Amino acid sequence: MKKNTSIATLSIIQMRDVSASYDSQNFVLKNVSMNVKRGTNYAIVGASGSGKTTLLKLMNGMMIPSSGVVLYNYQKPDLKNKEYKKSIAKIGYISQTLGLVKNSSVLDNVLIGALPRLNAVKSFLKMFPKDEIDTAHEVLNLVGLDTKSNRKVHMLSGGEKRRVAIARALMQKPDILLADEIVSELDSVTAREVMDVIKDAQRKFKLTAIMIHHDMNLALEYANRVAVIKDGDKVLEIGVDGEQIIDFQTGDLTQEEIMEMYNEPKK
Amino acid sequence: MNPKNNLLIGAIIAVVVVMSYDVGVDPIAFVDGLPNLGIVLKEMTEFESEHWGIAFWAMLETIEMAFIGTLAGVMISLPLSIFAARNISSKYVYVPLRALLAATRTFPSILWAILFVIMVGLGPFAGILAITLYTIGFISKLQYESIEAIDYDPVEATTAIGLSKIQLIRYVIIPESAPHLLSQILYMFDYNVRQTSILGIVGAGGIGFYIINYIKFFEYGKAAVFMLVVLIAVLAIDWISVKIRDRYIMKAQHGQQVKVKTN
Ligand SMILES: Nc1ncnc2c1ncn2[C@@H]1O[C@H](COP(=O)(O)OP(=O)(O)OP(=O)(O)O)[C@@H](O)[C@H]1O
Ligand SMILES: [Mg+2]
Repeated sequence: MKKNTSIATLSIIQMRDVSASYDSQNFVLKNVSMNVKRGTNYAIVGASGSGKTTLLKLMNGMMIPSSGVVLYNYQKPDLKNKEYKKSIAKIGYISQTLGLVKNSSVLDNVLIGALPRLNAVKSFLKMFPKDEIDTAHEVLNLVGLDTKSNRKVHMLSGGEKRRVAIARALMQKPDILLADEIVSELDSVTAREVMDVIKDAQRKFKLTAIMIHHDMNLALEYANRVAVIKDGDKVLEIGVDGEQIIDFQTGDLTQEEIMEMYNEPKK
Repeated sequence: MNPKNNLLIGAIIAVVVVMSYDVGVDPIAFVDGLPNLGIVLKEMTEFESEHWGIAFWAMLETIEMAFIGTLAGVMISLPLSIFAARNISSKYVYVPLRALLAATRTFPSILWAILFVIMVGLGPFAGILAITLYTIGFISKLQYESIEAIDYDPVEATTAIGLSKIQLIRYVIIPESAPHLLSQILYMFDYNVRQTSILGIVGAGGIGFYIINYIKFFEYGKAAVFMLVVLIAVLAIDWISVKIRDRYIMKAQHGQQVKVKTN
């Protein structure tokens, strides 16, 4: 690869020999290393329980590694660190369960993404500046939900809820979007619609996206790079170049060996 | 049925019999007393029409007291319930606060009414204070429990966005715990109307004052009619709250459809 020092090739997420555990006995991630460059469309796939969600939570500091180093923007994600708490507002995070406030309207949910930019008094009185409300309608328009902005979230369909979660993340004016299986439960047509929304947003806001997928084909279709996780291990990092699948991790696997490995986690 | 259960049921019956003897339960007195009901009924028919007005205004005062007390209690409960919720507040705040709230629930409101009559004198204000205090104890508990039961999912997600604690309370905790609030308020109001009806017995205002006085002067017919007014008012309020509940609360629940009665 060619050496290049433009901002586009700077890393946004770096992991070195990261292990993670929920009970400090069973390690759900073992010595994972990865490097995600700015502007990349990165995908993570793997079987259920392989550790994908855990990996994502390490990136924004919702989880602290047992050993190894995680860096977001050359900084350790740590929610107890005041300096980092400011930058977390720029990490768009969509959890596997979406985390929407079901009894609030679509618009109110989206505006939550702007709260870190609002002072305590104004946010308590729900006094959003006009430009923030305009931005909210803009992102709702982008995800195709502006006509339903007053609807309560619990009255939306599954696909619509995902769009609200995306809109809220975009409202954060993020540098990076972390999305956990947000299209897995949708039919393939709706899934692609939602993915296209994200692709548009990415182009518009020059976002880096790290997305967990269930479907390897979908991952390869939308991402520049796909990391395959198996039992807490990153076993592959691949990408598509024309008809070829390239092994970025070791650089010496043959096409057949890759196919063999990546077919496995699909169940 | 297994023999163990039979033994248990036998034991419970034995205990009830012993206790009844102890407190002087007398079925014969009950049967002998039945004709007295006839006297009350006869006296009820002799009720003079101008008393209906008194009964109406006394009942209205009762309802007003219950309404003010319920609303004041709810207003105070809302911030208190946030400070009493384990998942938001600190241990040093919620432990003493919960103990205090439990204490207010220990006594029925009529005992609080006696205390407030001593404090602020006879009349409806003492009754309102008693109802307010009791409502605080109750609604705060219901409310902190529903705050503790909210879905953790949006809390986690918005923490990851970087919301402050106040923003979290304002935009996640309150909207997520509010749907139960209207139903709790209706229930409390219903309950408070019934409670307020007897506060007059200790001089804390409301219709109970008339009832106890008629009973004291052996005017059982009038007392019975006033009780009838309480009954009608309580049933009416009950019916109205069911209507409100059906209309606003069933629909407000997460994606649930309103059930249509078919009879
Ligand atoms: N809060 C938790 N406490 C304890 N163990 C957990 C917790 N969350 C996840 N685990 C365990 O960690 C392992 C990895 O979980 P993780 O959620 O990262 O998997 P995943 O790859 O995201 O799976 P899925 O595709 O089903 O979402 C699993 O074995 C899971 O049981
Ligand atoms: Mg997961």
